[in-house]
Amino acid sequence: MLTGETRARIESLGVYLPPRRMTTEELLARCRRRPRLDLERITGTHERRVAEGEHAVDLAVAAARRALAMSRYRAEDLELLICASISKHHRDDEFTFEPATSVLVRKAIGARRAICFDVVNACAGMWSAVRVLQSYLRAGAIRCGMVVSGEQNMPLAWSATREIRHSLDRQLAALTLGDCGAAAILDRAADRRHGFHYLELVTGARHNGYCTSHPSTRGPGGVLLTRAVGLQRKGAEHFPYYFKEAVHASGWTMADLDHVIPHQVSPRAIARGVREVSRFMGRRLPRYFLCCAEQYGNTTTTSHFLALHEFMLRGAIQPGHNLLFVSGASGIVITHATYTMDELPERYRAAQPEAGR
Amino acid sequence: MIRCRLESLGSSLPREGLLRWGSLWHATRAGSECLARSHYRRSDIEVLINTGVHRDGHVCEPAIASHVLRALDINVEFRGARTLGFDLLNGGCGMLNAAHVLATMMQAGEIRVGMLVSSEANSDAEPDPAFPYAASGAAAVLDISPFPHEGFGAFAFRTHDEHAELYTSVVSLARPRGRIVLRRSAELEERYLACAGEVVEEVLAREELGRERIDHVIPAQLSPAFVARLGAAIGLPREKVVDLSDRLPDTLSTSVFLALHESRRSGRVRAGERVLLLACGSGLSVGAALYQV
Repeated sequence: MLTGETRARIESLGVYLPPRRMTTEELLARCRRRPRLDLERITGTHERRVAEGEHAVDLAVAAARRALAMSRYRAEDLELLICASISKHHRDDEFTFEPATSVLVRKAIGARRAICFDVVNACAGMWSAVRVLQSYLRAGAIRCGMVVSGEQNMPLAWSATREIRHSLDRQLAALTLGDCGAAAILDRAADRRHGFHYLELVTGARHNGYCTSHPSTRGPGGVLLTRAVGLQRKGAEHFPYYFKEAVHASGWTMADLDHVIPHQVSPRAIARGVREVSRFMGRRLPRYFLCCAEQYGNTTTTSHFLALHEFMLRGAIQPGHNLLFVSGASGIVITHATYTMDELPERYRAAQPEAGR
Repeated sequence: MIRCRLESLGSSLPREGLLRWGSLWHATRAGSECLARSHYRRSDIEVLINTGVHRDGHVCEPAIASHVLRALDINVEFRGARTLGFDLLNGGCGMLNAAHVLATMMQAGEIRVGMLVSSEANSDAEPDPAFPYAASGAAAVLDISPFPHEGFGAFAFRTHDEHAELYTSVVSLARPRGRIVLRRSAELEERYLACAGEVVEEVLAREELGRERIDHVIPAQLSPAFVARLGAAIGLPREKVVDLSDRLPDTLSTSVFLALHESRRSGRVRAGERVLLLACGSGLSVGAALYQV
């Protein structure tokens, strides 16, 4: 679907990473039955951040405050606030369905004019929320809004450390997760060269059994059960087609792309995705693909926005760059978005105390 | 202005019986009924939004919308026609929020046909007998209205987050399979009534309508007392408020659409009449929408 006259742009970004780092080795050492495989070598994930004394909603609120701090909008200017978290752990051992997490974020930041609700679509949640917010901007219903997510995924990893029974256990993927909060304020792009050119999400519901999360049947806590090989095979079968379609529908060729930001599942999974796209395109692709999963693990819905944060700070993403966001989420939901950067990377680096590290 | 209308409605009413129907059964039944009545084919659905709160097995991933798409066989493969499915969570206001989202997508020129589905069921192994919501399902196909006055008009939503603690619904993970824990303050309905007036005022102001132009108010059927007192709270005669609380227990997210469907089916709401839909939910959120049948 080509977007029409109005383009949504990311006016501001906020990312909150809890300070505590935990290596994959530390996490494996906590397993009651340690898997007999080198998880770090297989996945490429070295460490992740772990929220201690904070919950999912706190991560979302911290990210929302950071996004507001560098935005020209104030909290009371926000007209729509959508929270996309999967992990709704606002207290220990509780998963909150009501009130919506967006209500709690709204209250914490004082967005008193904002209509708020949660959009939940597994790891594609933030993109689904961006899709909804883009519609409100394009319909002229709002001037600006916020998409926010706080992912406290580590309770799923703690369940895995208790319950994994063998090296091929379906909870193994939970050991690659990490915690993170991310928020983006979106408004209409003043310059038609910037913003989202294309944003398409497709659900292939026949394949919705590859990755599920629900309360454990064996003990306390929630579990994430994944058939990673099947999920990756299905993704690889279909996503290169959408990848090419997104480039074409944006009026670009592969030569116009500066970076591709995939869902940060793990460095090895991303490498496999690059091979699939290269095979589909018929030639080896340049080093488009950005990956920071070795540092942060899989932060589910926040993954693309964390990568955007990381590579803007590293200076890899510059004003005018053409980006392609690619996501494969449980459902299976395949997402592709093309985006041209405005001056956000410069503003972002200027606003971050750790810029230029 | 492009108006979005309810092209077809479907419901799965609370039922008695030996078998407990899960939320996916209710969603599938309501969705199937809705699609059977619709002039659209399954492949025409471009976006499906599920707004149910309480779901089978307390699943949080993937989206329940993907299960509904699969059960209804709506564009389940990555070829041919495409559908995006996602969940929208906002308690009792969810279906009205989702209708607003679909109407906005149509006004933005992005989609022509969308579908709403919602269902509720307590899937605890041993459900709390005091759990207040009857299991049910509701579904609607929405499209762009072919007539200038038919369909949804203005929407208004107000959230009073200072009262967020008055109603919480969590799944306790302290024991295997989880268990729903509801905390509802006794003053909740009082607060809903206090907040309903301003939302109605806002929605009427947006349409530049007087209260006399409203033919029916279809509220969430929270309780007979709530429905009885609503008219006075929003400044409308009590007889305009559709009271089905003797037949329809509170069903949380599906309540307003079930009441609308029943009112249409019974002939109480007829073509050409203007209806005010009023939803209340956790947050504390109150939503209103004008709809011309």
